[in-house]
Amino acid sequence: MSQAATTAGAAPAASVATSEQYNYAIIKRFAVAAVLWGVFGMAAGVWIASQLAFPFLNFDIAQITFGRFRPVHTTAVIFGFGGNALFATSYYVVQRTCQARLWSDSMASFTFYGWNLALILGVITYMMGITQGREYAEFNWQIDLIILVVWVAYFMVYLMTLLRRNQPHIYVANWFFMAFILATALLHIFNNLEVPVGLFHPHSYPLFSGVQDAMRQWWYGHNAVGFFLTAAFLGMMYYFVPKQAGRPIYSYKLSIIHFWALVFLYMWVGAHHLHWTALPDWVSTLAATFSILLLLPSWGGMINGIMTLSGAWDKLRTDPIMLFLITALAFYGMSTFEGPMMSLKSVNALSHYTDWTVGHVHSGALGWVAMISFGSLYHLIPRLWNVNLYSVKLVYAHFFLATIGIVLYITAMWVAGIGQGLMLRAFDQYGNLAYTFSETVAFLHMPYVVRAVGGGFFLIGMLIMAFNIAMTIRSGIKAEAREAQAESAAPRTA
Amino acid sequence: MSTQDKRKPGQGQVETTGHLWDSDLAELNNPLPRWWLWGFYATIVFALVYWLLYPAWPIGDSFTKGIASVTYEVDGEERTTHWNTRALLARDMQFGDHAVRQREMLEQVSAQDYETILADADSMSFVNAYAQGSFGTWCAACHQVGGAGVVGLYPNLTNDHWKWGGSVDQIEHTIREGRLGYMPDYRNTLTGDQLDAVAAYVLSLNDYEMDADMVDAGQRIYQGMDGGCFQCHGADGGGLASQGAPNLTNNLWGLIDIRGAESDEARLRMVADLVHDGVQREMPGFSDRLSDDEIRMLTAYVHSLGGGQ
Repeated sequence: MSQAATTAGAAPAASVATSEQYNYAIIKRFAVAAVLWGVFGMAAGVWIASQLAFPFLNFDIAQITFGRFRPVHTTAVIFGFGGNALFATSYYVVQRTCQARLWSDSMASFTFYGWNLALILGVITYMMGITQGREYAEFNWQIDLIILVVWVAYFMVYLMTLLRRNQPHIYVANWFFMAFILATALLHIFNNLEVPVGLFHPHSYPLFSGVQDAMRQWWYGHNAVGFFLTAAFLGMMYYFVPKQAGRPIYSYKLSIIHFWALVFLYMWVGAHHLHWTALPDWVSTLAATFSILLLLPSWGGMINGIMTLSGAWDKLRTDPIMLFLITALAFYGMSTFEGPMMSLKSVNALSHYTDWTVGHVHSGALGWVAMISFGSLYHLIPRLWNVNLYSVKLVYAHFFLATIGIVLYITAMWVAGIGQGLMLRAFDQYGNLAYTFSETVAFLHMPYVVRAVGGGFFLIGMLIMAFNIAMTIRSGIKAEAREAQAESAAPRTA
Repeated sequence: MSTQDKRKPGQGQVETTGHLWDSDLAELNNPLPRWWLWGFYATIVFALVYWLLYPAWPIGDSFTKGIASVTYEVDGEERTTHWNTRALLARDMQFGDHAVRQREMLEQVSAQDYETILADADSMSFVNAYAQGSFGTWCAACHQVGGAGVVGLYPNLTNDHWKWGGSVDQIEHTIREGRLGYMPDYRNTLTGDQLDAVAAYVLSLNDYEMDADMVDAGQRIYQGMDGGCFQCHGADGGGLASQGAPNLTNNLWGLIDIRGAESDEARLRMVADLVHDGVQREMPGFSDRLSDDEIRMLTAYVHSLGGGQ
C-alpha cells in the first residue's frame, strides 16, 4: 500500500501513553482543518489571480468578483490555513516541551470551534459584501467579538499550560508563540475599536479617522505580518527544525537576542506602508529606519534555523521534510531582506501601489509561512496518528511543485511591479509622462497570467498534500482499529 | 561566552546550555556570528545617519527636523526649509528637468494659434506626446486608446466622419461643452414597410444596389413630411453638424456595422431598426475638468487623428 519509509516518514516511536499524557485529539482537529483551509484558500487565490488576468472570469456574479473574494482568499490562507496550523503546532509544542497536558480540554476545544466558526462567518459575510474595509481585519464587529473571546481562551490555555510545565526552563519556541498570542490580542483589539451602527447591524464606524486611522490599520497590518506570520512561525521553526534535523539549536544566545530585537522593533515599522501620503514625514522616517534595524534580527532566526542543520546537510538528500523547512528559511531570509529595502522611501516610491508588494507578501506567505507549515505538518501528522507517511515520493512532488510555483509567482510580480513602477514614472523628451495608466494595465496582462500559473502549481502541490495526509490518517485509523481488536482491553499506564 | 569569542565558532566545539526538552531538544551555546553582529551595528549606524538627516523623532508638539534641506519658491521668493515631502514635490514641479522642459513647450504652444500649431512639426510632435496621455486618461475609456471608438456606442475619431464638425473650433466646443446626440424614434410614425423603404433609400445613397421601387418610396418619405429626414440629414443626405446629424452618403457608419453585414438584406434590417428605435447618446463636457492648455492640446490631437476638416 504505502511506500517504504525513509528517514522522512520514519515511524514515530510514540506510545499509546503519549496520547493519554497529552491532548492529541485537539491537535488532530486543528491539523486537519489547516489542510482543508489550505486547499480552499489557495484555490480561492488561484481563482482571483485568474480573474485579474482574464476579467471575464468574474461572470458578473457579485459574490465571486475580485473585490469580495480577495478577503476570502486572505482570510482562508492566513487565518484558516496559517491560524489552524499555528493552533495545532503550538498546542503540540507547548505540551511536549513542557511535559504537561493542555490546561483545559474543553477550552482548547472551544478555541477550535470558535476560531473556525468566526472564519466561516467571515467568508460568508465577505461574499455578501459586508466588510470593514480594513485589510486582514475585514471581519465585521460581531465576528471581531467572537474572535476576541476565542483569543482570550487561547491565551489562557497556553499560559496556564506553561505554568503547569514539568520543565525548569521554557523552550524558545514557546517564547515566540507567547509573543504572538499577546501581540495578536493587542493588535486585534486596538485595530477594531469601533462604534456599531446598531446591535443587529453589521456595520460600524471606526473610532479614529483620516491619517490616524490609516496609521492604526497599518500598525495592525504590518504586525499581523510580524507576529502572526513571522514570530509564530519562528516558534514552529524552533521546534520542528531541530526535531527533524536531530540536532541542537545552533545558538541559545542568538535566539535570545534576536527574539527581543524582533518583538521590540516590529511594533515601529507599520507606517512604512504609508510613505508619501498625508503621514507626517518624521513618522515615515522612523518606520523606514526601524525596518532597516529589523533586518538582522529577522535573519537571526534564519541563521539559527539553517545553522542547526550544519553537520547534517546530507539530510537534504534523503529527507523532503527537511527540504521544506530549509527552503522556508531561505525564503524567510530573502523576503526579510526585500522588506526593509522596500521600506526605504526612495525604493518605496517605485514599489508602492504596484504588484511588487504583492510579490513580496507572497514570497513570505508561500515561501516562508506555507513551506514551514507544510514541513511541520508532514512531521506532525504521522506522529499524531502513530503511523508512517503514506508516500514520501508525494512529499517530494509537493516540494518541487510548490517551489516552481513560488518562483513563477515572485518573478512574475517583480516584472509586473517594477515594470509598472518604471512606466508610471517614465517621461518622454518633452517632459510629458510617457505612459497612460491604461497602458500600464495592458502591460500587466502577461505577468498576471504567469502569476496565475505559478499559483496553480502551488495549489496542485497542496492538493497532493491533502491526498497524502488523508491516506496517512486513514491508515492510522485502520492500524488503531486493528490494534484495539488484537490487544486485550487492559489499560496501559505510562 | 566571551571566552569562546577568540576562536572560530563551530558546532561540536561548544557545549549545550544543559537544558533538555522533549527527550532530545537542546541548544548549543555558540556566540553570535560576528558578521551578524557587525551587520546589526551597521544598520544602527545607518539609522542614526538617517535620523540626523531627516525629520525623525517627535518632541512634544514638534519633531527633530534633520539637517537636510529643500529650497523652492513661494510666490516668486526663494525659501529654504527642512527636508519634507511637500517642499520636495514643490521643488520638483518648479525646477525639475522634466517639469521645466514641459513648461517651456506648453508656453511655446500656448502662444500659437491652431493653424500655426497644426502646421508646425515641432509643436505637433509635442502636442501628440502630451495629448496622448490626456486622451488615455480622459477619453480612451469610451473612444479607446487609439481613438477608434466602438461601433454602436462611441464615435470613431480616426476617420473622416465628423458628426459635430471637424474644424478645430467645433472639436474644441465638443470637448468643452460635451454633446447630446438625438434622433427621434419612428416606431409610431412609420409602418414596417415605410421603414424598410427609407432604409433602402439611405443605403442607395451609399451605392448599395437596392430594389428600385423601395428606393423611390423611401425617397418620398425621406424628402417629404412623412419622414422629414431631410430636415436634419439634408436633402442630399450630407448631414448637419450643428445638429450632430451625420452624413448618410459616405458609407462611414458609427452606430451600425453596415460594412461588416453579411448581406444587403441584413444591412436593410440594421438601418430600419435604427430608424425604428431612434438614437440618444451623450458625451460629457470637460471644461470644468481640464485646463485650457489641456483642451487645446486635445483639440489639436483629435483634429490630427482623423485629418480634421
